[in-house]
Order: sequence, then structure tokens, then C-alpha cells
Amino acid sequence: MTGRRTAQVCLTLGGLIAWAIQFTIIYGVTSTLCGRGWADTALLGMGAVQITILLATLTALAAAAILLIVSLRQERQQRDHPASATDTFLNESGVLINGLSLVVILWHGVPAVILPACA
Amino acid sequence: MFLWTVPVAGCGGVQSALDPAGGDAWDLYRLTIVMTVGATLIFVFVTALLLYAVFAPPERRAWLGTRRTIVYGGLAFPIVVLSLLLPYGLVVMRDTDVPQPGALQIEVTGEQYWWRVRYPAEGDQAEFSTANELIVPIGRPITVSVTAADVIHSFWIPNLGGKIDMIPGRINRFNFTAERPGLYRGICAEFCGAQHARMAFDVMVLEPTEFEVWRQSQAQPAQEPAIPHLARGRDLFRAGGCGSCHMVRGTEANGQFGPDLTHVGSRRTIGAGQFPNNVGTLAGWIANVQQIKPGAKMPSYGSLTGEDLRAMAGYLESLK
Ligand code: HEC
Ligand SMILES: [Cu+2]
Repeated sequence: MTGRRTAQVCLTLGGLIAWAIQFTIIYGVTSTLCGRGWADTALLGMGAVQITILLATLTALAAAAILLIVSLRQERQQRDHPASATDTFLNESGVLINGLSLVVILWHGVPAVILPACA
Repeated sequence: MFLWTVPVAGCGGVQSALDPAGGDAWDLYRLTIVMTVGATLIFVFVTALLLYAVFAPPERRAWLGTRRTIVYGGLAFPIVVLSLLLPYGLVVMRDTDVPQPGALQIEVTGEQYWWRVRYPAEGDQAEFSTANELIVPIGRPITVSVTAADVIHSFWIPNLGGKIDMIPGRINRFNFTAERPGLYRGICAEFCGAQHARMAFDVMVLEPTEFEVWRQSQAQPAQEPAIPHLARGRDLFRAGGCGSCHMVRGTEANGQFGPDLTHVGSRRTIGAGQFPNNVGTLAGWIANVQQIKPGAKMPSYGSLTGEDLRAMAGYLESLK
């Protein structure tokens, strides 16, 4: 695979990777803090679990948003210049995957604002 | 409308999640209805579209394949629906099964194949044990602490809330408030062995004053036999060794293995919700446990004479 192709695939799957990282951090940190009894530690009136989820979610959202913008731009460019079937596929998948990742990352943050940390 | 009543008839009653008798149970019921009705409507709609896509003339069905239809129907619609359902489900999760201050504490242990029930001391009220029944006052929050003695069981009173696993060596808590007086039925909801299906219990929701009367009488030691026939039953109970497994407070029977029988006569059912409680079923139980509940951890006493059996059953029945 050429360097260009690698970058393209990373862009296509980037949203999923952002989601996977957010997922791992949220689940790992929540169960560790709750299991060790550290969940009550608070900063600025917010529990440690909530802060972690908030930061992980915002970071992942930002990443997915940037990836979505880049893939939208790619897709628009490609409309003007005829591209290979592989390029078209990767670009369109990128828009779809990064867009959906945005939604799913948001969904993963929602429980933090509704449920108590160690429910 | 008429057809709708067919599947729904028989869903009310003492053991039904579709007949809620408390706030939490109502929340769960509403969630179930929203999910079921919503899913049905969407399913019917999608199936109709599918049939249309298959059978409609090509020029009429063409719009189904447009980018616009896919983006709105296949992406936007599910995202919106799920984005609404997610917070709704989480709010129900947050608001049900919440421990309340001042809740009545009850401890229930799942055993193969019955329920050990303990009401810890509270104020002037002494602690006591019973089995296979949960009596609670209406309107007061209840916290049931559950665990298991042998294998995993699950504690479920469909009319009053969700299930809670009973795990050996671990205490789980289940919180609810009963808001409609009456008789309900709880069941074991986790396969626990051969007689899992015969592991149920009665739940009685009483007015607070009736509950206090019940609670005080349960804390009393067992009644002395009033007539010779019953005294004979007590002596046979003693001679038969029943007391090595069963507790009858106020007598030397102090077994811990099986259900506390101090007030067994006051229970509605015996055998973990299996038979109405009367002299006949008690006698049948004693003589034939292994035929009617094979694998239950009590031996059959099949060699007792009819007369002895009646005296023993009469004695147990008199333990109100
Ligand atoms: C080896 C211990 C053991 C002995 C001995 C024993 N039982 Fe039991 N008994 C049990 C267990 C365990 C149960 C619960 C069985 C079940 O429902 O799965 C039980 C249940 C009962 C019940 C039903 C209680 C209820 O609330 O459902 C009665 C009544 C009873 N025993 C009476 C007797 C009598 C009378 C004797 C003596 C003739 C006796 N038992 C001897 C272990 C014993
Ligand atoms: Cu069980």
C-alpha cells in the first residue's frame, strides 16, 4: 500500500478508531474508579468518572468532527475530478463512517449526565 | 380491538408484569409498551415498504432507491428514534430501584428450592424468620437484600419490579414500593436445579396497621398445642427428628437447614408457593415430598400411619 492509500484508509476508519479509544477509556476508567472506591473524588464539583467521560467524549467528538470535515472535502473534490472506484468507495465510506461515529460517540457520553457514576 | 383482547386476556393477575402494582413497576410497564408498540409500528412500516419495493411497478418505486430516501429513512430516522429512546431508557433506569431512606429492610436467601426470609429487628420490633412469603406494608419503601445459599437464583416479583440475581457470597439489593394492596406472586427467575419451576413465593401487600399486627405475631414463639390431638402431633414432630432441620421457636426444634415453621400455619401456601396450606396438603407434603417435589432437600416420611400424619399435619396447621 502506498503512503497515500494508507492515509486514505486511516481517514475512512478514523471515526471508528476515535470511538474505540473513547469506549476503552470510558469503560476502563469507570470500572477502575468504581471498583477501587475512588469515584467520589471530585474536581470543580464534578465526579472523577464524569470528568473522564466528558473529556474523552469531547476529544473523540472533536476528532470525529475534523475527520468528517476532511472526508467531506475529499468527497467534494472528487466530484469535480473523476476518481477510481476504490477512491470513490473510500471517500464515501469515510463520510458515512465518520458521521455515524460522531453520533455513536455522543451516545456513549449520554449515560454520564443521567446515571450516577457507579450505577 | 376484539383480536387485541385475545392475547392480552390472562395477562392481569398475581404474577404479571403487565399488571403493575407499584411506581417502579409502572415505569417498566410503560417502557415495555413504548418499545413494543413502537417496534411493531416500525416493523409494519418497513415491511410495507419492502413489499412495495418488490411488487410496485419500477417507475413508481424508484424513489425508494434515491439517496434522499436512504439518508432520511435509513440514517436520520433511526438516529432520531434511538437518540430519544436512549435518554428515556436511562431515565427509567435511574428512577427505578432507588434505595430510599427509612426503607423497611428484609433479607431473602435463595435456597434449592425455597426462600429463607428474615425481618431484622427494627425499633421495638424483634427480628424473626419465616419462609416462602414476603409480607409488606403498602406505601412504605422496601429494601430487599438478597443472596443465595447454594447456586445462583433470581428474585422476581413481576407486579412490583424487575429481577435481581441472588448470588452466593454476595448481597444484592432490590428496592420497591407497593402501591396496591393484594396478593402477588414472586418466582425464581434463574434456573437453579431440578425443582426451579417449583420455587415461588407469596407476596402480600397489607395496610400498615395489618402489617404491624402480622409482624408482631410472627415475632412471637410458637403456640402451645391446645388439644391432645395437636400435642400428639408436636410429640411426633419431635420424635421424627423434624427439629434437626426446622426451627419452631419456643420448642427445642432449632434446625436451621429448612424453612422456619414457627408460624407455618399462618402462611397461604407450602412448598415454596406450590400448594394451598391446609391439613391435607401438609400431610401429603410430609408423606410424599420426594414424589411431589423430587430433589427437594427434605426426605419423604412415607411410613407414618394415617393417624400420626393427621396429628402432625394438624399440629403444623395450628401454628398460626
Ligand atoms: C433434612 C432436613 C429436613 C428434615 C429432617 C425435615 N425437613 Fe421439612 N423441609 C426441609 C426443606 C429443605 C424444606 C424446603 C423444601 C422445598 O420447598 O424445596 C422443607 C419444607 C417443609 C415444609 C414446608 C414449609 C413451607 O413453608 O413451605 C413443611 C411443612 C415441612 N418441611 C415439615 C417437616 C416435617 C413435619 C418434618 C418431620 C417429619 C420435616 N419437615 C423434616 C428439610 C427437612
Ligand atoms: Cu431458584
